Amino acid sequence: MTIAQLYIPVAVLFGISIFFALLLPILSKILGPNRPGGRKGEAYESGIVAVGNAQKRLPVKFYRIAILFILFDIDIIFLFPYAIAMKKLGLFGLWSMLIFVVIFVLGDIWVWKRGVLEWE
Amino acid sequence: MDEVTIGWYIALAAILFSMGALGVLVRRNALIIFMSIELMLNAGNLLFVAFARHLGDLDGQIWVFFTMTVAAAEVAVGLALAVSIFRNRDSVNIDDMNMMKG
Amino acid sequence: MGHPIVFLILATVAVFAAIGMLTSRNAVHSALYLVLNFCTVAVFYLVLNAPFISMVQITVYAGAIVVLFLFVIMLLGADQLPKASSNGGLQYILAIFATAGLATALILQLSGFGDGTAKPESALDASPEAIGTLLFQDYVFPFEITSLILLVAMMSLIVFKAQKRKKQDG
Repeated sequence: MTIAQLYIPVAVLFGISIFFALLLPILSKILGPNRPGGRKGEAYESGIVAVGNAQKRLPVKFYRIAILFILFDIDIIFLFPYAIAMKKLGLFGLWSMLIFVVIFVLGDIWVWKRGVLEWE
Repeated sequence: MDEVTIGWYIALAAILFSMGALGVLVRRNALIIFMSIELMLNAGNLLFVAFARHLGDLDGQIWVFFTMTVAAAEVAVGLALAVSIFRNRDSVNIDDMNMMKG
Repeated sequence: MGHPIVFLILATVAVFAAIGMLTSRNAVHSALYLVLNFCTVAVFYLVLNAPFISMVQITVYAGAIVVLFLFVIMLLGADQLPKASSNGGLQYILAIFATAGLATALILQLSGFGDGTAKPESALDASPEAIGTLLFQDYVFPFEITSLILLVAMMSLIVFKAQKRKKQDG
């Protein structure tokens, strides 16, 4: 069994999900009644009038969270192989991971103390 | 032509890398230039993985993790610079970033 | 190393996504073309027997890095920039010639390393366990240094806070 064959179930699942994702909107378009116009075209059908453009400028606080997200993402891609190979690696692996995590957490504490995490 | 060899991957990675370089040279928007740099790093990663497969050696795959870390740090720092330059000069056009000209 | 038809389809998509990224005027569209390019490269990683790197590619590149790009584009409202002044056609022609030369040189130089036939697929055990074992035995010091790189990236967060305080004072 080659490695490509191991992905056949994934490919089947992928195909089925694409099929249904296409099928259901097309079916509802064909079968459902279609009477556009009036208030139906507005963003909020409750009657609130939409204001402004969808692409408006965001405050910078969201960007700070996005940077933290990237850093923790990188943290995870190293933690994950470690967690799987942990038993094989023994004490040496534990210490090297501890140093990594301690440096990372020190950075987090510093960022916290400087008030970057505050959501004013 | 009936078998994919390492040469195909070398050609693809070289083309993607050169397109990233082209983006750095011709575009004026600093954000697009960062995206082009990501494209170049990605071409390098592709070659690392292709050679790991070609040589049957896992070391090439390990370096991809370090490249990804550097790429993420580069994006975080670079975009932070872009944001603070935008606050001062109201532009991300790199032709406007000439304050340090002698 | 994959079926030729699979390679050609994926390579075409990857190259056209790169072209789309370079040529689209709207920065949001460029970021989305970049996602397409990253996803095709992730499929290449699957073909090349690197399943863990493929998933990492999707979470880190297509997930986190492009999200950061999109945030900055929306933060700056820089999605549609006016056409920048450039040095005109000459600059484009020179740049295209230079990068074509670069690509040729890269292919010629690197193909020297591609001698011999590829090892069989079973020669490479790229499970997360094998990666973890190698990473924490032979590559411990580069790994520890990545924590310093992350620390430097964290400092970029300080820029925003310091600037904010200055703005409130003045």
